[in-house]
Amino acid sequence: MADTILKVENLSVNYGYIVALQNVNLEIKKGEIVTLIGSNGAGKTTTLMAISGLVEKRHGSKVTFKGQDITKMAANKIVHMGMCHVPEGRKIFPSLSVYENLRAGALGNKNMTKARFAELIEEQYALFPRLKERSKQAGGSLSGGEQQMLAIARGLMMDPEIVMLDEPSLGLAPIVIEDIFELIVKIRDMGRTILLIEQNASVALSIADRGYVMEIGKITMEGTGKELLTNPEVKKAYLGG
Amino acid sequence: MGYILNQLLNGICQGSIYALMAIGYSVIVGVVGMVTFAYGEVMMIGAFSAYYIFIYVGNNLPLAILAAFAGSFIIGIVIYKLCYERFFTAPRHISLLCTIGISMLLKNLAQIVFGPETKPVLNVVSNKTFNINVFGSTLNIRLLQIVIIVLVIVLAAALTLFFNRTKYGIMLRAVSQNKDASYLMGINVKRTALLGNCIGCGFGGIAGILLGIYYFSVSATMGSAYSMKAFAASVLGGLVDIRFSALGGLCIGIIENLGIVFTAATFRDIFAFAFLILVLIFRPQGFVSKKGARV
Ligand SMILES: Nc1ncnc2c1ncn2[C@@H]1O[C@H](COP(=O)(O)OP(=O)(O)O)[C@@H](O)[C@H]1O
Ligand SMILES: [Mg+2]
Repeated sequence: MADTILKVENLSVNYGYIVALQNVNLEIKKGEIVTLIGSNGAGKTTTLMAISGLVEKRHGSKVTFKGQDITKMAANKIVHMGMCHVPEGRKIFPSLSVYENLRAGALGNKNMTKARFAELIEEQYALFPRLKERSKQAGGSLSGGEQQMLAIARGLMMDPEIVMLDEPSLGLAPIVIEDIFELIVKIRDMGRTILLIEQNASVALSIADRGYVMEIGKITMEGTGKELLTNPEVKKAYLGG
Repeated sequence: MGYILNQLLNGICQGSIYALMAIGYSVIVGVVGMVTFAYGEVMMIGAFSAYYIFIYVGNNLPLAILAAFAGSFIIGIVIYKLCYERFFTAPRHISLLCTIGISMLLKNLAQIVFGPETKPVLNVVSNKTFNINVFGSTLNIRLLQIVIIVLVIVLAAALTLFFNRTKYGIMLRAVSQNKDASYLMGINVKRTALLGNCIGCGFGGIAGILLGIYYFSVSATMGSAYSMKAFAASVLGGLVDIRFSALGGLCIGIIENLGIVFTAATFRDIFAFAFLILVLIFRPQGFVSKKGARV
């Protein structure tokens, strides 16, 4: 079995008095697509933000990335280690052009060379031809699907080892969602590890090697994508019967 | 007619200084994400930094401008540390109040350190005037006015290049648009905000000494009126858009100088604030098109 790249142990997060996460444990191996599914408000986004250092974790939580303890590391430093987080709601830079958005993504890699940068840009334009056509346009003027693609491409510009995607299908037409999930598989096949957060459980589980189910701040089930897809409880709660 | 023409020229010249000061102001508000009320004092510090160059080194304009930028840049570090650094997640009024406090502190300290009296700034640029005949009336262009306008254009162009072409420019713009997303790009958001604050302050400092040269004087209390004018000009750009803020500054300069053609020079400041109120009534979000921000 491949090496563990990301390990989350006893992760707990509070927002003031609200308990958002309680003792969450996750393990992701190199080259896997792992999905975290759960309904709205379950704590999926909070999990990602805690991993990437954007929200404070409770005492006792531990996050290990590539064997290094990153529990207390600053968010920008975690990025420099090769972790990419494509946030919920895309959060692209609306008045930067598409190209400038991609350039901003490359800032996340301290070892970026001119040659590698050019390579990565070409790679993104090959994956997302629409972005090439619109490279000079303001990021904010793109359609929802294009903005999602830009957010993913921007993240890939840092040449990350793991890509964490927070609900990339949110608010997109089914046809666009299909494209995006195909791309996610492609990105994994290019040698990156994927942690995919989704409410759209059926599609997510169908491409995932393994999955976790989250309910009100806790992991309640885990298994391979296939196991979860056919699990009667998961079927009932997330797959519409 | 000649008088109006000359006032228009004065307006453009003064407006270009206002534009520079509004540019600095909108850089600060954009990148830091919080409003400042210490900007007038930052300008004053810049003006005095340059003033002491004039006193101790002589009338060396480039060096004085560098000193103004550096002096205000350094005050920018102090303001950032005291007013912003720890308050990014606190309610906004806290850092705002801090900047008001710093503004009072600097104004009073300056009166103690530099002295309370108005200091003359003379003969920095030679007193040459070019008389040009325009449609039968004479336009008197002073060399000083040409120097100021050219300088502002050069500085604005340099800043534009910096923002659009360099890595730091992209970082500053990214941070001004979305701080969380900037963290996720590996950007050191706090250090970038510090840099933005200091660059904005530095531009304010240069505007400060240009006003000093234009009015032949600097004083410890010169900042207050300009702080409000910088704010008024930036409102046109929704406080954060650099180009519209610059335009706002230019407009205020022209309106002021044409306004006193029909009233009296003592009414000068009324026009800037009437302008502010009108913009706030009719276009409180500024004039920036929202085209670039479809979310
Ligand atoms: N900034 C916040 N302040 C307070 N409560 C929050 C905040 N963000 C999220 N929550 C709460 O934490 C819980 C988990 O939210 P979230 O992680 O966004 O869930 P999901 O991404 O699974 O929809 C929810 O109950 C939500 O209301
Ligand atoms: Mg969410």
